[in-house]
Amino acid sequence: MEFNLALQDLVNGILAGGIFAVVALGFSLVWGIMNIINLAHGAYIMLGAYLAYTLFTFWHVDPFVSIPLAFIVLFILGYFIQRYIINFVVRAPILTTFLLTFGLSLLIINIALVVFHGDVKGITTSYTGTNFAVGPVTISWTKLWTLVAALLITGCMQMFLTRTKTGRAIRATSMDIGAAQLSGVNVAHLYAIVYGLGAGLAGAAGVLVSLSYSLQPSMGDPFIIKGFVVCVLGGLGSVQGALIGGILYGILESFGSQWIGTGLQDATALVVLLLVLVVRPRGIIGKAVA
Amino acid sequence: MPAASTGTLLRKVGFGGITGNRTVFFIMCGVLVAMLGIPALHNGYYENLFRGILMFSTLSMGWNIIGGYTGYVSFGNVVYFGIGAYTSAALWQHFHQLNLLLAIVVGAIIAALMALILGIPILRLKGPYFGIATLGTALATQEIISNIDWLGGGSGFPVHQIDNFSLYYYAMWGVCAVSLAATYAIGRSKFGYALVAIRENEEAAAILGVDPTRTKVQAWMISAMMAASAGAVFAAANGFIDPPTAFASDTNIFPIVMAILGGAGTAAGPLVGAFVLTAINETLWGHFPQIHTLFFGAVIVLVVLFLPRGVLWLLNVRGGWRGLVNSLGAYRV
Repeated sequence: MEFNLALQDLVNGILAGGIFAVVALGFSLVWGIMNIINLAHGAYIMLGAYLAYTLFTFWHVDPFVSIPLAFIVLFILGYFIQRYIINFVVRAPILTTFLLTFGLSLLIINIALVVFHGDVKGITTSYTGTNFAVGPVTISWTKLWTLVAALLITGCMQMFLTRTKTGRAIRATSMDIGAAQLSGVNVAHLYAIVYGLGAGLAGAAGVLVSLSYSLQPSMGDPFIIKGFVVCVLGGLGSVQGALIGGILYGILESFGSQWIGTGLQDATALVVLLLVLVVRPRGIIGKAVA
Repeated sequence: MPAASTGTLLRKVGFGGITGNRTVFFIMCGVLVAMLGIPALHNGYYENLFRGILMFSTLSMGWNIIGGYTGYVSFGNVVYFGIGAYTSAALWQHFHQLNLLLAIVVGAIIAALMALILGIPILRLKGPYFGIATLGTALATQEIISNIDWLGGGSGFPVHQIDNFSLYYYAMWGVCAVSLAATYAIGRSKFGYALVAIRENEEAAAILGVDPTRTKVQAWMISAMMAASAGAVFAAANGFIDPPTAFASDTNIFPIVMAILGGAGTAAGPLVGAFVLTAINETLWGHFPQIHTLFFGAVIVLVVLFLPRGVLWLLNVRGGWRGLVNSLGAYRV
C-alpha cells in the first residue's frame, strides 16, 4: 500500500512537473541572459490562462489549441514591453529591473481585475476529470496531455536556441555581450526577443495552468517562486536544466503534500531549496550563464 | 552580461558619506519630532495614516541595514515582522500579557535569534540566490505558522486592544525613532563602515580584517529586530492577527520600494521614501478607489524609469535639465 501510494505521488509529481518546467524556462531565459528577475512573469501566466478561458468559453476552442496563439500574443506584448520600457534601465543593477517588473506586474494584474473581475473562474472540458489506470497508478488524461505539451514546448525551445541564427545570437549575447555586438547583433532588438520568448513561454504555461488550476487575476504569483526554485534546482538559462528542475520540483511538491502535510507542500519544497543552496550556493547544475 | 553590481548603484545613491546628505537627515529628524503632535489633532484618520508611515519607515530602515548598507537584498524581512506580530498576539492569547514594551522586547529577541539561525547558512549566498532564499523563508514561514495550532493556525487570533488608542501611535513612533537613531549611529561607527566595505567588495573587506560572516549576521539581526518591533506594535494596534495579515506581500515589498525611492544606504532615505510613497498611495486611493493599485503600479514604473536612484538624487544632478536627461540614459541598451 505504502509503496503504491509513493508510486502514485511520483507519477503525479512528474505529470505536474511539465508546467513548472515551462514556467521556469521563460523565467530562466530572461534571468540568465539579461540578469532580470522578472516579477511580471506571473502576470503573463495569468494572461495566457485568461486567453484560453475566453477562447474556450465563447468560441469553444480547446485550450491545447490555444497554446500557440497564447505564445504569439504574449510574445508580441513582451517584445514591446522590453523594447520600449525595460530596455531603458536594463543595464542598471538587478534591483532596478526587479522593481520595474514588480510595477509592471501590479499594472497588468489590476488591468485584468478591471476587465475580468476578481471572481474565481475555471475551464471544464469534456475530458476534465477523466482518468485511466496503469496497474496501481491512476493517471489523469488532462495532466498527461499537459506533460506532453510541456515536453513539446521545451523541445521546440531547445531547437530554436541551438539551430536558428537568432537562437545562436541569444546564446552568444549571454556569453559575451561585447563580442556579440561586434559580430553585428542588435542587442536592443535581441533583448526584446528574449523577453518576448519569456512572456510567450509564460503565456503557453498559463494555458496549461488553466486546465488544472482555477483562474483569478493574481493566480500567476505563486508560480514566480516556483519558477525561482526550479531555476536553482536546474541551473539558469539551460533548457534541460529547466526540464529536470521542473520535474524534480513537481515530485518534491507531490511528496511534500502527501507525507509532510497538505498545505505544507510549498514549505517542503522551499526547505529543500534552502538545503540545496547551503550545499551548492549556485544551484545543483552549476553556474549561471551570465 | 556586465551589469553593474548593486554596490555601484548604492555607492551613487549614498552621496555625502555613508549616512547620506546631512541636511536631509536633520530635516527628517525635525519631521519625525513634529509627528509626535499628530495624536493632539484627535483625528483617527491622520493617526492611522501616520502610524502607517512610521511602521513602513521602521520596516524600510530595517531592510536598509541589510539591503542598503550591506548590499544583501533581502526579500524576507516580513518574516521578522510576522514574528513580532505573533509574539504580541501569543503573549495576549496564552499569557494574558498586555505590556507593549514586553511584546516589543520579546519579539525583537526571538526575531534576532531566528535571524542568527537563518542568517548563518543564507548569508553565504550572493545576489539573486540570496534574494530567492530569503523570499523562500518568507513563504515557508507563513505556511508553517498556518499549520501551528498554538499560534491560531490558518484562522489567527484576536489581540486585546486598550482604550487609549494613541498609545499605539506613540509606541510606533518610539520604535521608529530608535531605529532612526540606531541607523545613524551605525552609519558613523566602525561597524557601519564594515557593512559598506562588505557591500563594495567582500573579499577586500575580509583581507582588511572584517569578518564578513559575523558582520553580515549581526547586521541581519539588527534588521530583524527593527522589523519585529514594528510587527509587535502593529499586531496590538490591528487587534487581530492571522498569517495573511502578518506576512502580507505588501509588508514585504513596500519597504524595499520605499528605501530605493528615498535612497538606499542613507539614514533618512527610508523615511523620505515612506512619506512619498504613502502620499502617492493615499492620493490615488482618494481619487480612484477602484483602480488605485493599477495607478500605483504605473507610478512604480515611472519612478524606476525616471528616478532610478531615488528622489533625493535629484538634489545632486549637475548640469540642469541636460544633465538629468544624460544621466537617465546611463543604463540604456
